[in-house]
Amino acid sequence: MEVGPSPSDNEVSASAQIDHLTELAEQTRVGEVYLAALMRRQLRLSLGVAVSLLAVLGVQPLLDRWVAYRQAALFSIPVPWLVLGLLTYPLLVVAGYFYLGRSESIDDEFGDLMR
Amino acid sequence: MSSSPATAVGLVLMLALTVGLGVYARRFGRSTSDLLVAARTVRPRLNAAAISGEYLSAASFLGIAGLVMQFGYDVLWYPVGYAAGYLVLLIFIAGPLRRFGAYTIPDFAEGRFDSPAFRRVAVCLVILIGLFYMLPQMKAAGITVSAATGAPYPIGVVAIAAVVVALVAGGGMGGITVVQAFQFAVKIFAISLPVFVLCVEFGSPSHLFAQLGSRVDPQLPAAVQFTVHPGDEWTLARPTSVLPQTPLRVRLLPPRSSAGGTYPALGGPTGSGAGQGRTLILRPPQQTLPAGSVVFSDAGRVGLRAGAPVPFGASTPASSNRAWALPFGPLAGGGGHPLLFTYSLLVGILCGTMGLPHILVRFYTNPDARSARRTAWLVLVLLGLFYLWPPLYGVLGRLQDPALYTQKLTDSVVLLLPRLLFPGWLGALMTAVVSAGAFAAFTSTLSGLLVSLAGALGHDLYGRWWRPESSPRARRRAFRLAAIVAGAGAAGLGLTVQSFDISVLVGWAFAIAASSFFPLLVLGIWWRGLTALGAALGATLGGLAATAGIVTTMLQPASPALTSFLDRNSGLAVIFSQPAIVTIPLSFALMVSVSLALPHPPGQVSLKMLQLHVPERLGLRHDYIPE
Repeated sequence: MEVGPSPSDNEVSASAQIDHLTELAEQTRVGEVYLAALMRRQLRLSLGVAVSLLAVLGVQPLLDRWVAYRQAALFSIPVPWLVLGLLTYPLLVVAGYFYLGRSESIDDEFGDLMR
Repeated sequence: MSSSPATAVGLVLMLALTVGLGVYARRFGRSTSDLLVAARTVRPRLNAAAISGEYLSAASFLGIAGLVMQFGYDVLWYPVGYAAGYLVLLIFIAGPLRRFGAYTIPDFAEGRFDSPAFRRVAVCLVILIGLFYMLPQMKAAGITVSAATGAPYPIGVVAIAAVVVALVAGGGMGGITVVQAFQFAVKIFAISLPVFVLCVEFGSPSHLFAQLGSRVDPQLPAAVQFTVHPGDEWTLARPTSVLPQTPLRVRLLPPRSSAGGTYPALGGPTGSGAGQGRTLILRPPQQTLPAGSVVFSDAGRVGLRAGAPVPFGASTPASSNRAWALPFGPLAGGGGHPLLFTYSLLVGILCGTMGLPHILVRFYTNPDARSARRTAWLVLVLLGLFYLWPPLYGVLGRLQDPALYTQKLTDSVVLLLPRLLFPGWLGALMTAVVSAGAFAAFTSTLSGLLVSLAGALGHDLYGRWWRPESSPRARRRAFRLAAIVAGAGAAGLGLTVQSFDISVLVGWAFAIAASSFFPLLVLGIWWRGLTALGAALGATLGGLAATAGIVTTMLQPASPALTSFLDRNSGLAVIFSQPAIVTIPLSFALMVSVSLALPHPPGQVSLKMLQLHVPERLGLRHDYIPE
């Protein structure tokens, strides 16, 4: 399905820009491909962060079963308390910050490509 | 419980400040209360503070500390889950949902699937979850007012419900951004300052843990006189001499099965195994109670000396300091399946946050998806700062005021510790501070919930289905009436939950939200193939399955047959009490399989995806075909 005119020499950039956006707006098959690509990149990022979140949290109950870990203490505070009650929050914040930067740049790249 | 003028002053001051700020903000045009015409100009920082202000409920302010005091380490999963829920919200739905312009879940359900019928289903689920979430707030209101004034629990519940209904129905503070942001400031100040002062007095956390580690079980730091009533249950770690004022009959109970972290020694050779079922008469002035559990048959007063092991009341399983401080203690280990319990609790809270009825609304005041994401991230930062503090109250409570175990007042530990530990003006001041924080916690969440519920009842039930032709004025009146009805209903239910732990009740609301709305939002945003039928079936059955499990758990104490069945099937009992790990996948599976079996014609789906995912600056949002 050929919707956009084939790019011809001089006005390539201008017409190509309009065409990207129009294809997206009119949901042509090409536009659908653009959109699907955007969604795929964002979703892959989200799933990546979700997996690391599950790793940070999900590994702790397993660690808790490990005797050396569950009985360790730092300044007489049990290590599991320090890890779950103190250290986990900064890790969540860092994961969120990483996501913010990446998802904004995916949106920006997509916007630049379309415009 | 004795009353404290300081607490009452704290409550009244907080109420006056809240209402005053609301009036002030309204006059200067910063009101975003009417969310239907939201200005959408709130900056991420202010908005994040407002969202945190509305989100930090009594469960965070009172419940976590109380539950940590009861159960120790395992409870830390609650605050971590409450905070991490915002990371899940950030990465999956914050941006797209803002672009879509949906600011309640029923809006999303209707807009994404073009299905008014689905909207009705979603409204019913919102009402279910909202009511569940209001119960623990009501309990918090009851215990705070009773700590402040000495009034009985039901009066506190009804009084606070009346205040909040009046505020919401009067167009009050529910939706005003600066007021909610101010409430956040109050809460973080009120939770951190007193515990800081307490730590200056009683030692750093490391000192506190060292003290805990040096004793086998919690001991009374000073002599205490307990008032006992017929039916009160005490569990003692070792034989203890008690000082009854009058002769009191007690019945020795058979030892409980001690799964997980509770005392392995109870019911052993030195325990009460020998004389179970026997009645003992405690005679003044002094008598030795054997280790194990007893039930009082008479009312009276009993003294215990300083240094005696604390008697655990029926609501807290007895645990040694060691079992309490280590993972898989009485909370997670009690059911015999600690990993299953922990993971199920965790996914329920992680995925439930976004499904609470009052959470998404506030993201609508962001101008675009980018600032919605930044707001969600800032909320995560603010919550992380807040949740460092409540567990410390639990540790301090176990060490300094274990009599709360006997009195079944662990949920009030934040409110009661300052007064107990600092006699005089400092205690009064700190009590006023924590009471103001607690007041801010339950009123902000209650009013947010009430606005959502009254919106669902008034705008949806009345304005759309019952009387679609009604005038805006009639709808506003319906909204007010709905606020009164919902408030009365929540207060009525709130009277029945005094014996449940605040955080446990909240965990249940999260589990129901996670099993219904989380799959709906995630699949609805990221999967084109989801159909209205699949989504509605999955959300409804997932939510109902979670509710059924939880209601079974709530009814269990009343039914011996159910209790013995669940005792025999301990895995099932854990899943009933923490259903998310089964019901979330169930809901996802239903949505996917029904959608695949009965696919929709492609139709408008691409347009929806365009709205959800294409950055705003491309200008496709309002007119999809720019020509």
